[in-house]
Amino acid sequence: MNIPKLVVKNITRRKGRFIFTLLGITIGIASFVTLLSLGGGLKKEIRKQAAELGANLVVTPKGWCAYEQVSVLTGEQLPEAIPFDTVKKISAIRGLTAVPYLTERTAYRNNPVSVIGILPEEMRRFKNWGMEQGSYFTAQDERALVIGSGIAGQFKIKPGDELTIKGERLPVKGVLKETGGKDDIAVYIPLSVAQKLYEVGSNVSFIAIKVDDIAKIDAYILQIQEAANVAVVSDKQLLKSVLSIVGTVSMTLQLIAAVAILAAAFGIINTMMTAISERKREIGILQAIGAPRGTIFSLFFLESGCYGLLGGIFGVGCGLLFSLFASPYISQNEFTSLIRGTEVGEALDLRVILGSILFSVAVSLVSGFYPAWKAARMTPVEAISYE
Amino acid sequence: MNDAIIKTENLHKTYMTGKVTTHALRGVSLEIPRGAFCAIVGPSGHGKSTLMHLIGGLDRASEGTVFIDGEEITRLSNSRLAALRARKIGFVFQFFNLLQSLTAEENMATAMMFAGVPEKKQAEKAREFLSLVGLSEKLKSKPSELSGGQQQRVAIARALANDPEILLMDEPTGNLDSESEAEVLDAVFRLHKEGKTVIIVTHNPEIAKRAEMVIRIKDGRLAERQALI
Repeated sequence: MNIPKLVVKNITRRKGRFIFTLLGITIGIASFVTLLSLGGGLKKEIRKQAAELGANLVVTPKGWCAYEQVSVLTGEQLPEAIPFDTVKKISAIRGLTAVPYLTERTAYRNNPVSVIGILPEEMRRFKNWGMEQGSYFTAQDERALVIGSGIAGQFKIKPGDELTIKGERLPVKGVLKETGGKDDIAVYIPLSVAQKLYEVGSNVSFIAIKVDDIAKIDAYILQIQEAANVAVVSDKQLLKSVLSIVGTVSMTLQLIAAVAILAAAFGIINTMMTAISERKREIGILQAIGAPRGTIFSLFFLESGCYGLLGGIFGVGCGLLFSLFASPYISQNEFTSLIRGTEVGEALDLRVILGSILFSVAVSLVSGFYPAWKAARMTPVEAISYE
Repeated sequence: MNDAIIKTENLHKTYMTGKVTTHALRGVSLEIPRGAFCAIVGPSGHGKSTLMHLIGGLDRASEGTVFIDGEEITRLSNSRLAALRARKIGFVFQFFNLLQSLTAEENMATAMMFAGVPEKKQAEKAREFLSLVGLSEKLKSKPSELSGGQQQRVAIARALANDPEILLMDEPTGNLDSESEAEVLDAVFRLHKEGKTVIIVTHNPEIAKRAEMVIRIKDGRLAERQALI
């Protein structure tokens, strides 16, 4: 006989109670891991999208809040508030390429689809797009569409089909090569055509800017602000503010999960206290046959720790499964539409897995401390005389 | 009586139950020689069990001293006291003596763990002690699968696991039918013959008759002491 063996014998003697207590901590850890993983996946995707935007600077109307900045990355509908004159003024600055975006929405078979008005030639050069099927725009004001490969695949659209946008039927000219980002899930129209369809005059939503000399980025920002009354944000600032929103959201969710873990901790305390009053006589017997207080303490302390270890392992496993199943559903939400596929699972590295298990063990050890201390404090005769 | 394995001097034990003070022992001084078979008798609630608990270091005296083998145990720390119980004393109680979730063998092994018997030798020793009480075939049985007498014999075997010099028994047959009682007493007397000091708290006059020494406790005092040795 040794202490670990005795702990295992004790923990499994009340199987129902063991399983329910274990479920408590498992669910707590699982929800924590799920949210951690989804939050991590979201951040990773945002970084990726920011890189794909291909811009060093983003020009937005003055007074945009962070939510609108997020939308630059997610391809959502945005207010169109920069006059095309401003685009021209900014384009005139030497050493940078300015690419305007007009982001709108349409519905295709009851699904929301991003519609982006672009300057065809500038955009193609900016993004290095290739064609999967059909051909690209040939004129700046061509009344036609080019669609991302994701949209083409999802709705089985091929060149020659027609899409209705704002009541107007437009032919699909071509399908872009897959980029792996949000460019795949948008429909593109020449800017002037989009401006007419959506009746926005000559305005655009935002301007993406690539500079020739990244070292002089601060100077470019000043130059742009001198040229026009707009806000300029660098891709790093943009990323930072977007990540901070996502961070706050995931932090809030993790706090909720922490409450679940806290509830589970009290479940463990409850189970251990019950076990101690049930085994009061046995504690006395153990003391009579020579168990010192430290041993009584570690018997209950380790028993409690076992809940944490097992709950942590099962919780991490369930959490990974949950996040795999949950991510497709979450990606139907507009805000998180950019998380797709299995990217989410990858966000969980070994450090997070081990960290969660350790956290679970720590929580249950803390929970077990008081009951174990109480058990160890019992005098042998008090325990033995218990009927 | 120069070779006293147990000696108490002016032992007092007072309990506070709420505001009521109970004097369980009121100055008991006695000596029990090495190898004796000693019965502690007396009416219920007069302090027999308390005396046994103090001798075995399960409880602390309010006043007075207890010596085991010349060592004053009333001064020992809790952990030293636990070590002394593991090394020198074997206990058998009236009820629920065994750890219910463990088999007979595991119950024995647990006691041996505290006595410092290496894990590899535990199984072999458990078999040896269980055969001593005639239960070698019940090695893998849990307490719930054993009769009262068998459970008590396993408890006796477990009390031997640390090869103690002193066996302290609190009404070990109080809960048994006469057949089981005979089995248990058989084992106890055999152990005494092998040289163990046996101290047994009992209501049973038969046991008292066969004892070499009878200590009668009444109202927390030593009422009578008969020694046949």
